[in-house]
Amino acid sequence: MTRAIALTVNGEQCGGDVEPRTLLVHFLRDQLGLTGTHVGCVVGECGACSILVDGALVKSCLMLAVQADGCAVTTIEGLSTPGALHPVQEAFVNRFGLQCGFCTPGFVMASHALLMRNPNPTEEEIRRDLSSNLCMCTGYVQIVEAVKEAAVTLEQWRTSRT
Amino acid sequence: MADITHIGSRARSKEAPRHVSGRGQYVDDLSRPRMLHACILRSPYAHARIISVRADAAMKLPGVRAVLTPADIKALSQPFKPGRYAAGLRVPIAEYASAIEKVRYAGEPIAIVAADTRAIAEDAIELIDVDYEPLPAAASIEDAVADGATPLYEELGSNVGWQGKVSYGDVDAAFARADRIVRESLKIHRYSSTPLEPFACLAEHSPERMTITCNSQSPDVIYEALSEALGLDAVRVRVPDVGGGFGQKIHLIRKYAVLTALLAVKTRRPVKWIEDRSEHMMAGGHSCEQEFDVEAAVKADGEVIGMKIRDTDDVGGSVSTLTIHFTNKLNNLFNTYTVQHLTLEGRSVLTNKCPVVPNRGIGKPGMCFVWERMMDRIAQELGLDAIAVRRRNLIPPSAFPYTTPNGNIYGSGEYDTLLDKALKNVDYDGVRQRQATQRGLVARTLSGSRGEPDKARPTLLGIGVVIGVEPGGRNAARDMAIFPKSKQMPGAGGVEGATVKIEKNGSVVFTLGSPSCGQSHETTAAQIIADVLGVSPDRISLATTYDSALSPWGVSSSNSGNNFHLYDVGAVHGAATRLREKLLTLAAHVLKEDMGRLTIEDGMVYVGRLREAGAKSAASGPAVSFAELGKIAYSNQAQMPPGFEGGLQVTYFHSHPHADPLMLPDSEGRVRAQYTFSSAAHAAVVEVDVETGRVRVVRYVIVSDNGTLINPAVVDGQIYGSAAHGISVALGEGFVYGSDGQLLTLTLLDYGKSTTLETPHIEIEHHPVPDPFTTLGQKAAGEGAAIPSPAAIASAVEDALSPFGVKVRDLPLSPERVWRLING
Repeated sequence: MTRAIALTVNGEQCGGDVEPRTLLVHFLRDQLGLTGTHVGCVVGECGACSILVDGALVKSCLMLAVQADGCAVTTIEGLSTPGALHPVQEAFVNRFGLQCGFCTPGFVMASHALLMRNPNPTEEEIRRDLSSNLCMCTGYVQIVEAVKEAAVTLEQWRTSRT
Repeated sequence: MADITHIGSRARSKEAPRHVSGRGQYVDDLSRPRMLHACILRSPYAHARIISVRADAAMKLPGVRAVLTPADIKALSQPFKPGRYAAGLRVPIAEYASAIEKVRYAGEPIAIVAADTRAIAEDAIELIDVDYEPLPAAASIEDAVADGATPLYEELGSNVGWQGKVSYGDVDAAFARADRIVRESLKIHRYSSTPLEPFACLAEHSPERMTITCNSQSPDVIYEALSEALGLDAVRVRVPDVGGGFGQKIHLIRKYAVLTALLAVKTRRPVKWIEDRSEHMMAGGHSCEQEFDVEAAVKADGEVIGMKIRDTDDVGGSVSTLTIHFTNKLNNLFNTYTVQHLTLEGRSVLTNKCPVVPNRGIGKPGMCFVWERMMDRIAQELGLDAIAVRRRNLIPPSAFPYTTPNGNIYGSGEYDTLLDKALKNVDYDGVRQRQATQRGLVARTLSGSRGEPDKARPTLLGIGVVIGVEPGGRNAARDMAIFPKSKQMPGAGGVEGATVKIEKNGSVVFTLGSPSCGQSHETTAAQIIADVLGVSPDRISLATTYDSALSPWGVSSSNSGNNFHLYDVGAVHGAATRLREKLLTLAAHVLKEDMGRLTIEDGMVYVGRLREAGAKSAASGPAVSFAELGKIAYSNQAQMPPGFEGGLQVTYFHSHPHADPLMLPDSEGRVRAQYTFSSAAHAAVVEVDVETGRVRVVRYVIVSDNGTLINPAVVDGQIYGSAAHGISVALGEGFVYGSDGQLLTLTLLDYGKSTTLETPHIEIEHHPVPDPFTTLGQKAAGEGAAIPSPAAIASAVEDALSPFGVKVRDLPLSPERVWRLING
């Protein structure tokens, strides 16, 4: 038994027939081919599957695909514009804020969500917020540096636009 | 070589842009037409006989294409040959990819299903009916060696799978002339680096070839396993992006490669199997629980003149990695110290727990823990300063190159300076002053008098300073030191290749012999090629990730053993150097100049030093571009010098030119276990909450000698990550079993992995002392800070708790265990 769903993913209208038990992360990966969203634990502990649903940070292994019916989803693939990385992505590159890359899409999305809410976080605030995600490679130091750098870049963007 | 500009720079990562964009390609991201999905049935018991397995109902579920039971697996495959880590077995034991007649740990694979979807495969697993006869489980070393314990392997007669000993110098004489014998019992628990991407295999079988794409760190292990188990001649192993390795993905993954491959053969369709988190926690392999009884023979001034160590390793429910944690202690057996007389006795005990696997340093964190805990204990017993005792025993700079009594050759090191800098950077004297003040406050608070309002929860400050070597570059003959008569010569020294190619358009591609698990191999190798060839890193890229049919691999082609810096760097540097010679030969012919007068800069070959004299392009003087040379080399024989081999491509296999002496073990069991020795001093400052036992790391300072740094940002990342892991291990992460052998920590939360909150901001100072024997003076960085950090935290916590007079002998220092230490 399947159910049809329709949603917006990275600005595009998408749809599909899903089993009620299908997790959102599996729908994105297996049916839409958006494999940038990763599965590290499937129980909401690691954050590798973090995405935005209607602007809110969500662990997509904790949400059923049918629950996303009618929602606007942003995945890691939707963050950059053609030819240019998003400032959060660029900062992770500059600061070596990743190693194996498996947790990275989740950290980038979580950092992006943090900076939308709190454009100028302290190190403590960054660490408190990103404790939702796990990285086994970096020891977090360069991730925290990347978020700080992204905050500065985004601030410059805002200043230059006004 | 061209002027060095890229080596030593924080060159921009070549891997990161794809990862931050979600363009990484991991096994689970791959799909094939008609691909099936596999799921594994695992044992719910820690120890049981398998009476029967019935798969009829599972087979009847729509969408199920194949089920393999133990009987099928036994009929369709051969057992693995005992590898170098099982060479000490008293009797041969056949180990298949799944349990056959018995299960020996909870989570051991029993059957595997292939179905149209993962969900159907999971449904089918529940329909397989297994009859077990449960057996008593040995969930600890104590249980396993107790009289009457049920043996895991009847053919061994007991659960002691191996015991042996190495001895160097005259230990008895050293003990006879000691002023004091310092004794201690120490223990390290089971843990894992828990790579975020669990095991993953995709098997594709055709009459011509079995191709397996998997996230193996050591594709050689998979290659051999498929050949052995399936009797296949034509095997191709491919490794795409790997979501972290740390040693986890070296050994046990071969079982799953074989099971997935068997399904591909049976169904004649591609089959993908992705392990889930709980499967990985219970059956993906753990670092070994290790118990040490240590005796140190010391002089009154703190000199350690002899050491006796009895090491018992809980190796879990498999014989395949029986001695791996023992033999790895040969790598840092003497740490940074001059002691000449040492005995290490080993005992590998089989238990009904997950088999052990390599994990970021393997036995080395345990060995460093022994040394550094003993240094503190010796200082306490002799009434000396713990850092002064270390200094008394350090190998002095004048002694390098230094040969340890067991045959390791340390190329260079300045251990005293590492300690000096660590003490300065952590403000050691300042910490001691704050500690004294704080202890006064806590004493008043605990005694009932009113402390300051914000001191309602008393905390104690502690500092630990330790030092350790980080061995790098594995010698494949190391294990022969304890198995000199083994018929399974595992290889010797190291061999590893790289291919570098200038394309027809002048850009450069290269292939390494080993896979990467996130250590920026492409970035680092491109920096080396850029400097050797004289071309911008922007024009250099990795041609392909590991592919056994294409990659120039050898025994060292493994993302393990801290191998990259020695073998891959040597190979890529050697290939680029040879390619440069070839390029200049062609350019000299084209330019009608003597080769010695040519200069390369930014993808152009100039005559003389015209570029520096102000010429900015080929037009201003005789010059030829890589692209022009590429066109000739690939398409214009008429312009090649006589006898010139077409193309601009070189494959070079590197072996360490200084692998001798002691590449093979001598009659006294001396062998060079590894070839380079980085070193680091760690200073940890902790606060212990006396009421809750919670430990907070306030500062963590590292001064590290990794030799010549090729990319400091990459090396920093390795140090940060390895330190964070070791700190998390010390603070509480770990596997916990019930007395029935059931794993109680099946999720990352239960397991207690540190997050951004518990992980401190780690501070690094580099103190590079180039290695005299490696290509660029480089040493290893990878296992790194995971080796000394558990000892540093233990030292700091013991220091904090010194008012209570407690000794830290065991890890982890979780709040509960620290509270118990405080409260007796």
